[in-house]
Amino acid sequence: MSEQTANRVFNTVNFIVLTIATLLCLAPFIHILAVSLSSPGPILSGKVNLIPVEINFESYKQVFTDSSMIRSLGFTVMLTTLFTVLCMIMTIAAGYPLSKRKLRGRKLLMTVVVITMFFSGGIIPEYILVRSLNLLDTIWALVLPGLINPFYLIILITFFNNIPESLEESAEIDGSSHFRTLIGIILPLSLPVIATLSLFYAVGRWNGFQDTLMYINSPELYPLQLKLYQLIQNNMITDLLAAEGAGAVAKLVPEGLKAASVMFATVPILLVYPWLQRYFVNGVMIGAIKG
Amino acid sequence: MLGNTKRNGMAMVSVILAVLLLFTACSSNSNSNESGGSSGSESGQRVTLKIEVFDRGNSPAGSTITDNYLTRYVQENFGDPNNIDVEFVPVPRSEEVEKLNVLMASGSDVPDIVFTYDTNTFNRYASQGGLTDLAPLLEEHAPNLTAFLGEDILQYGLYEGTQYAVPAKRSQVGKYASFIRQDWLDKLGLDVPKTTEELYEVLKAFKEKDPGETGGQVIPLAMTVANAQYEPLIWSFIEPLTEEQSYTLTQTLGSNDYPTLLPGFKEALQFMNKLYNEGLMSRDFALDTDKKKLGEDVSSGKVGFFSEDDVNPFYENGMYATLQKNVPGATLAAVDVYLNPEGKYAKPMYNPNGMYIMVPKSSNRAVEAIKYLEWMATDDHLFHMQNGVEGENYTMVDDVPVAMENQTEEALNRLYNSGDMAIISNGKQLGSEELNLRARAMQFPKEYQDIVAIAQELANTDLIEPVVLSRPIDAQTKYGTTLQEKFKEMLVKTTMAKPDQFDNVYETMMKDYMASGGQAILDERTAVYQEMQSK
Amino acid sequence: MSSKVYFRRYWQLYALVMLPLAFFIIFKYGPMYGIQIAFKDFNFFQGIQGSEWIGFEAFREVFGMRDFYLTLRNTLMLNFLDLVVSFPAPIILAILLYEMRTVWFKKLSQTILYIPHFISWVIIGGIAAQVFGTQSGMINNVITSLGYEAIPFLTEKNIWLVTYLLIGVWQSAGWGTIIYLAALTGINRELFEAASIDGAGRMKRIWHITLPGLKPTIVMLLIINLGHLITIGFDRPYVIGNLAVREYSDVLSTFVYRIGLQSGQYTLATVVGLFQAVVGLVMVLSANYISKKLTDEGIM
Repeated sequence: MSEQTANRVFNTVNFIVLTIATLLCLAPFIHILAVSLSSPGPILSGKVNLIPVEINFESYKQVFTDSSMIRSLGFTVMLTTLFTVLCMIMTIAAGYPLSKRKLRGRKLLMTVVVITMFFSGGIIPEYILVRSLNLLDTIWALVLPGLINPFYLIILITFFNNIPESLEESAEIDGSSHFRTLIGIILPLSLPVIATLSLFYAVGRWNGFQDTLMYINSPELYPLQLKLYQLIQNNMITDLLAAEGAGAVAKLVPEGLKAASVMFATVPILLVYPWLQRYFVNGVMIGAIKG
Repeated sequence: MLGNTKRNGMAMVSVILAVLLLFTACSSNSNSNESGGSSGSESGQRVTLKIEVFDRGNSPAGSTITDNYLTRYVQENFGDPNNIDVEFVPVPRSEEVEKLNVLMASGSDVPDIVFTYDTNTFNRYASQGGLTDLAPLLEEHAPNLTAFLGEDILQYGLYEGTQYAVPAKRSQVGKYASFIRQDWLDKLGLDVPKTTEELYEVLKAFKEKDPGETGGQVIPLAMTVANAQYEPLIWSFIEPLTEEQSYTLTQTLGSNDYPTLLPGFKEALQFMNKLYNEGLMSRDFALDTDKKKLGEDVSSGKVGFFSEDDVNPFYENGMYATLQKNVPGATLAAVDVYLNPEGKYAKPMYNPNGMYIMVPKSSNRAVEAIKYLEWMATDDHLFHMQNGVEGENYTMVDDVPVAMENQTEEALNRLYNSGDMAIISNGKQLGSEELNLRARAMQFPKEYQDIVAIAQELANTDLIEPVVLSRPIDAQTKYGTTLQEKFKEMLVKTTMAKPDQFDNVYETMMKDYMASGGQAILDERTAVYQEMQSK
Repeated sequence: MSSKVYFRRYWQLYALVMLPLAFFIIFKYGPMYGIQIAFKDFNFFQGIQGSEWIGFEAFREVFGMRDFYLTLRNTLMLNFLDLVVSFPAPIILAILLYEMRTVWFKKLSQTILYIPHFISWVIIGGIAAQVFGTQSGMINNVITSLGYEAIPFLTEKNIWLVTYLLIGVWQSAGWGTIIYLAALTGINRELFEAASIDGAGRMKRIWHITLPGLKPTIVMLLIINLGHLITIGFDRPYVIGNLAVREYSDVLSTFVYRIGLQSGQYTLATVVGLFQAVVGLVMVLSANYISKKLTDEGIM
């Protein structure tokens, strides 16, 4: 088999494999979309797969006319942005010094970090801490306790470590301060990993709601995922409705509305990655080294 | 270099320690709250009463869970006249126990009125000494509430003889009814089955003749792992019990009685096994924990027979409505078929109490808390909170408030959280069970009110009373959650076993169940029973 | 280098690390006094400080529970299988994407592949039942219409294992590629050009250039994964698992949920957590040590 045929075979196989994988990953999303566009009857009888049955836009109308949903979206965008920016600043501030192998006390600091990957105080002392810092029911309760994820910090350190030390040394010899080396040389070389970690932090914050269940009481500070969780959970506890004597007064949340809410809460964050892909440019580093 | 690292290290360790100590000190302070029922409102000062409220995330536009028609109603009619600011503290319904635990453990911000449906949580709080004894307060401040609940209900709020909770009152205690496709019976010329054997024959006919023309997809008996589907079947196999047997062999897990050790249980499992292996029962019942599949199967017309919470199939756009839309001419009949050895259609019932309403010991507003409950039980406040405004939300028909059709959006939104706000009652209270049931049926679409009435009647026939012991069983609190799961696992595994493996699987699962706490409960209950006898 | 010179040169690095250090001390180490719950008979109303010391009694209780060993075994088993199956998947996928020359297709599939990560497990569970159900699951509908026996994808424990693993791959592989794709941008493309001039085949190039480029990332993730062999998320086994396969699907997290949160026995839950933490830390340090010896790569 010649080089060229082998190449072509590889490309074809690659294309097929990726196409199948892509379709598999897309299918459930299409399913949710189909449910969100179908009428309650077919949904309840399990007839909706990938194509909407008895199409209607009622669910979306409900989502988009619910002012609390729109407000929640706004709040979530703000929360996620604030969180991501602060997290990245903190993580870089910790990651750069810790990537310096000659830094004294580095090993100890790393141990401090690694321990927190495994040990935690538990939900009660964490709640008491947030309360005693007067953060309860504020946006900061959702930001400050998660500022540095030790796992992400280690990823960043690994990437920093791969930057040729010669670059920094030459900068140092030029008399550049560490701050300037970091901002002028290291960060521009690290755009892909910075984009990656920003995405990780942003998605983690966007999808996380467990802390809001504990720390937040005011509806204006409800992130989208919390509202979504309540909608979905509502189904889990309908069993209790009868037991709780709520009777027909309590309304069940229709599946269609749930699906529409899922779309509403998911699509915005899905759009972040395509936007970040521009920072995944090949050879950033090479160019820099040459220049 | 080395020395330096060490010194840095020491400094850091000491900083960490100092911070730890600091937090330790803070947290120990916060728990030294004085208990008591002192009353600020009597001294003329305006005080704040904090009341827990379930948040189900279903507040309509314009309302929030802490500010809506009912919270304003409470503030205006209870708060303002008594110089009290009523503040509602939302607790997510699905994280109810977790959040309450954290609030309690953190020692402050605890609402003055908290509640839970979970018997174990109530027992735990009571046994750890965290609740206020409400008996003197009830006597002094709450004659109407005491009369409304009655001795019967109040006893559910006792923990070792002390009134640590005010239990809510249930408007009716019926749980389950069974339903059969009447049109299938008619088509096959069969009578409504009246016994378990007759049911078995009918199920076989459903499978063989497939009257619904489902193309081999027929599910003669729909089953899930939710209580409503398997309990009616299983309890009908339980043999008549002596007093001693029912006290010692029953296992109360959560707030339900479980028949694991009762005579007849094995036969019940055997029957399930037979139905499963002959293809008469949902194959994937083990996956259906939230009855979603049940709903799909029934409403797409595949199911011949099923048991369910008496009113559940009849919600607007619910199971039955969808079935009739999908399969024109489909009719359900509410029936009783599981005849027990005594000749009764025995089935479990709800405890007559609803949730446990508690006042934490750390609260300084115990008096106001009880006054709030008393207020709710007085005059027509409860009625108003459950039914809204006459002429806008309901009209009275034969002593029963009937929800009006074409209510304005504003009127409808008044009552979205009424079940969670009217905490002293579960369901509408109209003075008698008959009226309560009638009112309940009236909440359903007109065309279903007749069958709802029948289903309710069946649900209230031949009820098996919950077994109440003289004191709480610690082992039940401790192992309850685990054993509930073991019980269901046993149900699933024995049912799905090959017939010749049944005994084997049953023995193994039973051994596991007993070793995981079943035996401990049995021993403790036996001891308590002997105690009761010797008195 | 004398300390004085050293600090004059490096004080900026210490200044940078101060704020993060404060964060770790306050928010991570601050609440750690909660660990003492493991050695106390925790009472909600006495609080953490006020509860009585019981020494190792709770440890004895946990280590005496049958379910503890069952769930421990399952946790290790599921995580190990995941390591074998799910860990390499994103690496392969990332390389395939990297090798894809059609740019629009590459970008599109990259974006779609990570969608499953955004669908919550509750919803995945619902879809899994629809797809893999025995009676009317989509796959079995096809199988039975071809005249074959339905396959119990979810209710027979060994088949369930496969289903569980595949769902895991499906859910995490696309998301996992992101970090590898970031790492791949660091590879010098000129090396490829040099290689193709040498006449190295596609596979050879992947083997000798691409994979070594990913090595630091792979080693780091592997070490961290080894450290977490004993911890497992709650949602996936809980949602994909069911009563028929509880022998395999019941894991430490569901066990802790049951005894700790649902039954309010925080002491027992803390004991299990502490056990997992100690084992995890030991594992990660050992893995790091071994890796340093073998490959000179490590996380610290």
